[in-house]
Amino acid sequence: MMGMTWYFIGLVLGLSLYVLFKLRIRYGLEWLPLTLCGSGIGLILFAAAWGVAAMLEGVPRAASMGLLLFGLPGIVLTTYGARLIANAANLSSEGSDA
Amino acid sequence: MSKDNEKDTKANETPSANDAGKSRRNFLKFGLVGAGAAAVVATGAVAVKRMQGIPHDEFPVELNDDFKPIDQRNQINVFCGSKALNEKHPERTRSFNEMLKKEDPANYKPFDFYATRRAFMSGPYRDAPGYGQLDRALAVGGFSSARQQLGGGSMEAPNSGVSSWEQTMLVDHKYEFESPAQANTDIKSAARLYGAIRCGITKRDKRWDYDPMYSVSEEKELSWEKDFPFEPKSVIVIMTEMDYPAMATAPAWIQDATVGDAYANAIKIAGQITIFLRQLGFKAVASMNDLGINAPYAIAAGLGEGGRNGQVIVPEYGPRVRISKVYTDLEFVEYDKPRTYGVASFCLNCKRCADSCPSKAITFGDQTWGPEYSTDPDYIWNASKGILKFHNDAKKCAKFWIDNDGSCGNCIAACPYNKPDFWHHRLVDAQNVIAPGPVHAFMREMDIFFGYGNVSDPDKVHRFWKLGDKV
Ligand code: SF4
Ligand code: SF4
Repeated sequence: MMGMTWYFIGLVLGLSLYVLFKLRIRYGLEWLPLTLCGSGIGLILFAAAWGVAAMLEGVPRAASMGLLLFGLPGIVLTTYGARLIANAANLSSEGSDA
Repeated sequence: MSKDNEKDTKANETPSANDAGKSRRNFLKFGLVGAGAAAVVATGAVAVKRMQGIPHDEFPVELNDDFKPIDQRNQINVFCGSKALNEKHPERTRSFNEMLKKEDPANYKPFDFYATRRAFMSGPYRDAPGYGQLDRALAVGGFSSARQQLGGGSMEAPNSGVSSWEQTMLVDHKYEFESPAQANTDIKSAARLYGAIRCGITKRDKRWDYDPMYSVSEEKELSWEKDFPFEPKSVIVIMTEMDYPAMATAPAWIQDATVGDAYANAIKIAGQITIFLRQLGFKAVASMNDLGINAPYAIAAGLGEGGRNGQVIVPEYGPRVRISKVYTDLEFVEYDKPRTYGVASFCLNCKRCADSCPSKAITFGDQTWGPEYSTDPDYIWNASKGILKFHNDAKKCAKFWIDNDGSCGNCIAACPYNKPDFWHHRLVDAQNVIAPGPVHAFMREMDIFFGYGNVSDPDKVHRFWKLGDKV
């Protein structure tokens, strides 16, 4: 089960890095939104791996605490990073319209 | 120069100045990212190294001149099991009862080390999770193999069953190991195959041996010089694992089952290593809790560090292990070095075992040179002196076992080092070895917050009895 979790986390991580890289190239993004988004996604995946491991060892409370302590900041960072990326994308498309 | 030309020149200059500023900023950014990455890698490398333990040339616990080897007659389980010793020392029972009366006059019931011990694990079933017929049967079954292997004797019995001192199956031709280092690896390879989770080899050290030894079944002292069949040179220390979900039910009777089972595995492996060595032409004797004290031998063999709870805390397993030994006259072997893993410093701030101890046997204080719970010689007869460690009152522990009608294990189950083998625990371990003391106090709180180490939890009993679905 843990092996499958790592496999999926690897896939999601790879995909996320690819998308962030593409966005950077396309909109010439600065490091801040990329770092925020990347760290957020990293934290969410960390929380997911923590949760699965804690459930497998039979400590559901550790799973929920892990999701809360690592997952929540992860979501906040990702959302904020995504907003900055969206702003940058809007600016760049406005620039190209002009 | 015309004004237009001047403008042109400035316009030409501005982008290149900007470019220079940008590339400086980029350089700084990359520099910062690189430094951050290097710091993370370096910290990780330090953590990985520390997790393997810091090797020491000497035994890593301080001793002073008051230290003396322990007389096995003063070992608590031996005393509890021996009629003759109880008759010889009524003052010990008297002194213990005085303490019980003083500490809790309302609930005081006279206690007798020997008489009460006779009825151990045979009382009525209780109407509580973990204390029914199913749980008792599991515990008795768990211990049965160890008892059979030890000829029906207790874990402390010398020269009994697999631990017999008779040198059967000893061959005349002595095998020549390629090198001391190879001898070390060969023995450990055999131990791994037989089922050991850890194995270490150390010099025989008289400081850790019982002297004299004592056979309860014969009610007689045994001497190293007159009775033991050879002069041991080396001690092989073997560890087996206790089941995490079973231990988590502590102090329910289920945890007894995994204690007994791990004992059975430990003595089985020690017996097999004994025959392995005899077949190589070396004399050997297997030992469970007899001959010498397991904890210092395990520490000397680099397998772990002494914890507040009096157990050896082993990386990745914590105190959830059982230890057996093999004494041998093989000398041509490389000894493992003692190692410290930051446990002593963690224990100073943790105290979860002391919090969870139902008999208050475990000290909340720091390491001392001797027991601080009493100065009465009739009370502290079983305590060691002259060694800087956490001194606990094993008599109170023994009393709780008897009251519980099974052993306890709370101090194992509650320990933050006792975790199953999952990546997130190894990550926390790595963090703990590099973090300073105040972080340890925080980690203890986090351990509680995350729901680890609860004892007396009926849910864990129910969960244990569902695990069969997975087999
Ligand atoms: S086994 Fe139980 S009673 Fe004994 S020291 Fe540990 S926690 Fe205390
Ligand atoms: S519970 Fe805490 S204080 Fe006790 S042995 Fe384990 S780490 Fe040390």
